[in-house]
Amino acid sequence: MWEVLQHAGWVTTLGTSRGLFGLVSVVHYSAVFFCVGTIVLRDIRILGVACRNQTLSSVAEQLRPWFWIGFGSAAISGFLLFTVEAGDYAAATPFRIKMLVIGLAAVSALAIDWRVPTWDRASTMPVTARLVALISIVLWLGTILMSVEIPALTGLG
Amino acid sequence: MYDAVLAGCRWLENTPWGVAVRGSSWMYPLALWVHFVGLSVWLATSLALDLRLMGVGSRRLNAVELSTGLFAWNWIGFAVAFVGGFLLLSAEATTYAANTGFRLKLIVLIPAALIWHVIVQKMVQKKTPAWTATAQTSAIGKWAGLIEFLLWILVVSASVSFLLTNALTHA
Repeated sequence: MWEVLQHAGWVTTLGTSRGLFGLVSVVHYSAVFFCVGTIVLRDIRILGVACRNQTLSSVAEQLRPWFWIGFGSAAISGFLLFTVEAGDYAAATPFRIKMLVIGLAAVSALAIDWRVPTWDRASTMPVTARLVALISIVLWLGTILMSVEIPALTGLG
Repeated sequence: MYDAVLAGCRWLENTPWGVAVRGSSWMYPLALWVHFVGLSVWLATSLALDLRLMGVGSRRLNAVELSTGLFAWNWIGFAVAFVGGFLLLSAEATTYAANTGFRLKLIVLIPAALIWHVIVQKMVQKKTPAWTATAQTSAIGKWAGLIEFLLWILVVSASVSFLLTNALTHA
């Protein structure tokens, strides 16, 4: 299936056009940095070491649209970069681990978003909240770690 | 002048950390990871403020609240990105120095974006009314935010162009 995608006409165009591939890469890098950064900042606020003068809800709401716009752009541009070597990526274990970590990180982002109003009403930040925020940070930084390990371990990208 | 730069690059490549990052299969990706983690924090804190100045997105916090609340993490992100970037540069300094995209990034774009960033940050934090006018956004604030936003995207573009022209494999 992935091999068929890799040999589609538009994928070949993307893979051979330096400008087009570069443009998609710029979108991917920028979007990844923006999405990981905004979500990590929200988690840092939960840990109580940033924006302490502002409520958690206001920080989370300020950053939430940027996180999802970043995540969406990173996913779309990432898929386009994936298509160029789809067969090899799909078969590579580090790439599969990266997708798994991204999935877990996205679930944690949603779960935290869902609990933010409750945590915001508490007089002190619950221990569970801090723990989950820490796990979220580890997962998001893990997505970047897997991204840099893919070329190092497989030679892809 | 270029000879002096080249000599400096060779010296960097022969420093213990330069040799280590270049020669090790795990240190290069680790340095890249550090660079990217720092960049994520730096760009998110900087661009979130730029977009707020432009009046785009949520308005739960105003530019002053956002800038002061994220100030420490903004510069922590910068410091982390700098350390990672310095290690990456040390590993292959002469290759970097010869690349047009990298020269553009380090000599023109980053200094320009950084100076602009510091000016914007100062103006916002001094609560200059013309820039921040709390709930509303001002024309000058919008332009200031837009220019900084574009400058950082150009920095990323120059870096990507370097990566694509010098496809160095560290497998």
